Amino acid sequence: MIIADPKPFGQVKEYIKDYKRVLVVGCGTCVTVCLSGGEAEVQLLASGLRIALGKNGKNPVILEGTVQRQCDEEFVVPVLDRVRDERIDAVVTLACGVGVNFLADRLGSVPVFPGVDTTFYGASAGQGLWAELCAGCGNCITAYTGGICPIARCSKHLLNGPCGGSEKGRCEVAPNSIDCVWQLIYDRLKKLGRLSELQNLLPAKDWRTASDGGVRRSVREYLQEPK
Amino acid sequence: MSDNNGFKSGSNLERVLRAGHFAVTCECGPPKGADVEHLEKKINLVKGCVDAANVTDNQTAVVRMSSIGASAILVRNGVEPVMQMVTRDRNRIAAQSDIFGASALGIRNMLCLTGDHQTFGNHPMAKNVFDLDSIQLLDMVRIIRDEGKVNSGDPVEGGIKMFLGAAANPFADPFEFRVIRLAKKISAGADFVQTQCIYDMDRFRQFMKMACDMGLDKKCFILAGLTPLKSAGMAAYMNKNVAGISIPDSVIQRIRGAQKGKQAEEGIRFLIEQIQEVKEIPGIAGVHIMAIEWEDRVREIAERAGLLPRPAIEA
Amino acid sequence: MDKECPQVSAGEILATCSAACPVHTDTREYVQRISRGDYEGALDILLEVNPFPSVCGRICHHPCESECRRKTIDTAVSLRMLKRFVVENTREYRVSRQKKPAERKQGAVAIVGSGPSGLTAARDLALMGYRVSVYEKDTKLGGMLAHAIPRYRLPADALMEDIQDILATGIEVRTGCEVGRDITFQELRKDHDAVLIAVGLAESHSLPIPGTESSGVFLGIPFLWDIANGLRPELGGRTLVVGGGNVAIDIARAAKRLGTSKVYMACLEKREEMPAWQWEIDEAQEEGIEILNSWGPKAILAENGNVSGIEFRRCTRVFDEEHRFSPLYDDSETTQVDVDSVILAIGQKACLDCVSESPVTVDRGRLQCDRSSMATSERGVFACGEVMTGPGSAIQAVATGHDAARVIAHFLQTGETLKIAPRAVQTIGDLPAETAARAKRFERVEVSLTDPAVRIGDFSPIEPGFSEMEALKESRRCLACATGAYLESEAVCAGCLTCVRVCPFGVAKVDRTAVMPAQQCQTCGLCAAECPAAGIALSRFATNKMREKLREMLAGTVAEKISRPFVVSYCCLNETTSREFLREQTEAEIRETGILRVMVPCVGRLSALDLVSPFELGADKLAVLACKEEGCFYTGAEGLLRRRIARAKKFLDEIGVGQESLQLFNTEGSAEQSWPRIWAQLRSAAPDDEVIAAQAAAGGDSR
Ligand SMILES: Cc1cc2nc3c(=O)[nH]c(=O)nc-3n(C[C@H](O)[C@H](O)[C@H](O)COP(=O)(O)OP(=O)(O)OC[C@H]3O[C@@H](n4cnc5c(N)ncnc54)[C@H](O)[C@@H]3O)c2cc1C
Ligand code: SF4
Ligand code: SF4
Repeated sequence: MIIADPKPFGQVKEYIKDYKRVLVVGCGTCVTVCLSGGEAEVQLLASGLRIALGKNGKNPVILEGTVQRQCDEEFVVPVLDRVRDERIDAVVTLACGVGVNFLADRLGSVPVFPGVDTTFYGASAGQGLWAELCAGCGNCITAYTGGICPIARCSKHLLNGPCGGSEKGRCEVAPNSIDCVWQLIYDRLKKLGRLSELQNLLPAKDWRTASDGGVRRSVREYLQEPK
Repeated sequence: MSDNNGFKSGSNLERVLRAGHFAVTCECGPPKGADVEHLEKKINLVKGCVDAANVTDNQTAVVRMSSIGASAILVRNGVEPVMQMVTRDRNRIAAQSDIFGASALGIRNMLCLTGDHQTFGNHPMAKNVFDLDSIQLLDMVRIIRDEGKVNSGDPVEGGIKMFLGAAANPFADPFEFRVIRLAKKISAGADFVQTQCIYDMDRFRQFMKMACDMGLDKKCFILAGLTPLKSAGMAAYMNKNVAGISIPDSVIQRIRGAQKGKQAEEGIRFLIEQIQEVKEIPGIAGVHIMAIEWEDRVREIAERAGLLPRPAIEA
Repeated sequence: MDKECPQVSAGEILATCSAACPVHTDTREYVQRISRGDYEGALDILLEVNPFPSVCGRICHHPCESECRRKTIDTAVSLRMLKRFVVENTREYRVSRQKKPAERKQGAVAIVGSGPSGLTAARDLALMGYRVSVYEKDTKLGGMLAHAIPRYRLPADALMEDIQDILATGIEVRTGCEVGRDITFQELRKDHDAVLIAVGLAESHSLPIPGTESSGVFLGIPFLWDIANGLRPELGGRTLVVGGGNVAIDIARAAKRLGTSKVYMACLEKREEMPAWQWEIDEAQEEGIEILNSWGPKAILAENGNVSGIEFRRCTRVFDEEHRFSPLYDDSETTQVDVDSVILAIGQKACLDCVSESPVTVDRGRLQCDRSSMATSERGVFACGEVMTGPGSAIQAVATGHDAARVIAHFLQTGETLKIAPRAVQTIGDLPAETAARAKRFERVEVSLTDPAVRIGDFSPIEPGFSEMEALKESRRCLACATGAYLESEAVCAGCLTCVRVCPFGVAKVDRTAVMPAQQCQTCGLCAAECPAAGIALSRFATNKMREKLREMLAGTVAEKISRPFVVSYCCLNETTSREFLREQTEAEIRETGILRVMVPCVGRLSALDLVSPFELGADKLAVLACKEEGCFYTGAEGLLRRRIARAKKFLDEIGVGQESLQLFNTEGSAEQSWPRIWAQLRSAAPDDEVIAAQAAAGGDSR
């Protein structure tokens, strides 16, 4: 899942302070799950904006809405319709960056502003906590690392073992919060009886499948309309 | 693609080690700017006391004069550099091009490192690179040197001569993995290894035993890293705050127990004892003395440890 | 007033308490209304289905309590006492809401007998618009309630309250008129379109043993009847009551109150088999009544025609394998008790003399009657109450009275009989033990009965009612079963598991989308407060409804005229000990005091939005008045609320309102003592300069 954090309120306020009719639109998928951009956040942000801008003597109309996903045309069309029908002059989206782009590509002359900071692909690591688990490198190497990704979870993305900063299972970059992923990999491979594989050298990675190879697309020809 | 007589680069350090001498290296940190005079002063302090001096690459992620530039100045001043290179700041394109440049400037030793994370330095906001890790860097340089191919497989025009070093930290975790990692570095191309500073001699002996059991001491030269303690306060601080360094309480107590104003002297005395101790450890080929911002005491240390004069071996 | 949760009233699924009640009183609703200080509303709920709430508040055997789901946690909610509290505290209101029939309909009904069943049917039919005449042979109305149940349990004025309410519907009453003697059954039929026989079980069974004709032998019902009518039957120093049911206990306890020094009860059953309620047995024993179990009377002994004792033989078994009454005796084991009087309380039977000269069929002493259509052998003649069902409870009699009214109305309209299908009652089921284990325990509020030594002195009531504080406290023990959280729309649920993680009771689950099984939900509302999709609704005290109401209240000009600083105060209503703060505020009150109270059963359910939006509506300050520290019903709610408030404070700083505008307080002592102090403190603090500046900047109309 994509993880995002709410943007500092002041930033969002600054983006929209000169608009008259603003739509705050949430996304019902990843950002709802990670508590940053669902309907509840939409309502809270909208209320906050009304209060804060009201204090500045501005009283813009702040409208609210949430759609199931902002990364699919069919779900986004109602937002576009609202923008047109309700003469909205700016949109704040609480979807991840994907949603911001998706709307920007479709909103014509109406500006869209991000309401969250999109951070990583991660998973719930307990109540109110999410952790980065994958970096989307496009060529998964976890088969060699016990299913644990050193690219996403090592502060230095090391592929051949821990640096000298691994101490008591923690990463020197933030010993209180980050596990040394190489300790995890070591422990896991030990459990799997595959420790010897650690002696193999993982060669320099081909990063073309990651964003370094240019903007990526994913294709399922069998579903594409023939050209 | 090494010399006829089997030398990788024929550097002084390599020759000393090959000749079976107990090698001595030290550290020579570049200035936080282009202050050549300051650097030359440091160079002169260590000249003649060591077989080569490590030139750090933006150590602890604090911006300094580049290690290539500083290493070239060492060459100019007659002290052999061990140019350090970290993968934090340069991708494989920049790294390879820098290595060519270094070789062209007469640099013959390099130490391949991953580098401290930028959050520890003065530019925590920087984007890091880590296109490679230190092992992959070693591997890449070895292939350039031995097979004449850059990472992509393209041929190299005119070979490089480089004695390749790596760092080893016997004190970080997971402990059992540390020797495996050393072995990996050696098979990737490390000709010599300098260790993290040693205070816990027992654990170091254990590490060396494991390394020797795997025959690693036969495949590469292992230099024991040592750092003199200036005071008990410094010792305690390092113990607590530097990941991968552990200083036994007994050592801190010993420094603390020294008379007022005599803690530094006690630190040096302890270091000299350590040098004698590591000499006796099977598989140790030399010492790497990291007298951080204490270059002026390197001569004294080498002197008192009986490491002087340094052997001069014909190329 | 709308019920707060339609799940019980409209739907088919009942809380177990309501399901157990013969008339399906919406128990949860009235208890919840009490907890909100709406005693009048609670009375409305009681009277919906039960014309005898006052009687039931005193003597109902309360099957609701026996089935209350709170039992799984600690003890049942004291429902009967709560009911009694309601009637005792709404007397004027009750008179004011008395109803008259809306329209008059064709049709006259004669009802024989004024017990609870007869009067219930009379009231229902009268309210439907029919002409109803009740014939009662006694001078007082109420049947056994008036003549048999001793006054220490049911005072006459309590019964009177119910009866007066019933009479207000315009029923015609003929007391002192015994059908079959003062008027013939056939005359009744001639004058009415339908006749309802509700004569109850007025006669006591006697025993087929020697000695029953001796002086000093009494029959139970006539004995009680006399007492109820102010007579004091002559008992000797020692009395023995034969019987082990509730009636026997009433008789024994009444005998005690007549000054008899020694009272025994003897019955066939073992202690644990006795049909009397445990609490009745306990109270009787407290009063010094000695119970002799497993003895069958063999003969009443007499000297000179006066009772001198009674002889028993051992009863070895009362019921056979199929639980039918079939006693076995061991004649070799006998005993004799020396007493001066014997009262027989071994069961009642109907006196059907009233129909003896009519074609209505009586079969072996029992009125022939079809239970589902309540019809007797004669067209237009119906029966209800104990004469039809056999011995039972007052509220069961009431239930049959309602049914009788329905079948009779149907008959009057169509000339046909109506078969009432037994109502299929579906309950929400028991509270699962694992949920109960996580719930906090709260002691049931108990009242202490008059000291036994004192109470046997006369027939004064022995049980005090709840004080307001006690009633409020006890009402909050109700789990408000099945009024909890539910997913409003599956479409918005992202399956994020937040509800699962915050639910203190392990109730919420995600099965594709969130589910909070009504059977388990403890109604704390924590999941709704944290749901990121704002998709969980609460059946009661939904905070979105509260917000709407706030918005409504502050709309228009009201907000402008409010005395500043204007404090919105969310209050945990569980802390109140009176109605003072539970009452709805008037607009003027809010304007003048500058305080708007929003009562919530637990402030833990307030969402971050609830903690911010009042400022949008014009509040200067927001106070959250929580319960006493560690006092919350819901495990974990306090911590969550504190963290939510910390978050809201941070947000308030960011939006320029300032975190000091939101404050959390714990009630100290009672709400009535604590809250006014808090409000005064909040209001006296200097008004926020920034707010004033902002108001000025906005031309004063930004609010
Ligand atoms: C001692 C005792 C204690 C009880 N305690 C409880 C208790 O604690 N809780 C509880 O829920 N229930 C209790 N009950 C049961 C309850 O009182 C009865 O279930 C209920 O009263 C039955 O109502 P009913 O309408 O069928 O008949 P009844 O109440 O018996 O009323 C019948 C009425 O018909 C009248 N009548 C009879 N024949 C004629 C006639 N020919 N003409 C005119 N009028 C006639 C009688 O005078 C009487 O008033 C108790 C009963 C007794 C006897
Ligand atoms: S807790 Fe309340 S609603 Fe639930 S069974 Fe008991 S009285 Fe009824
Ligand atoms: S959190 Fe509370 S309201 Fe929600 S399901 Fe659990 S018990 Fe019910």
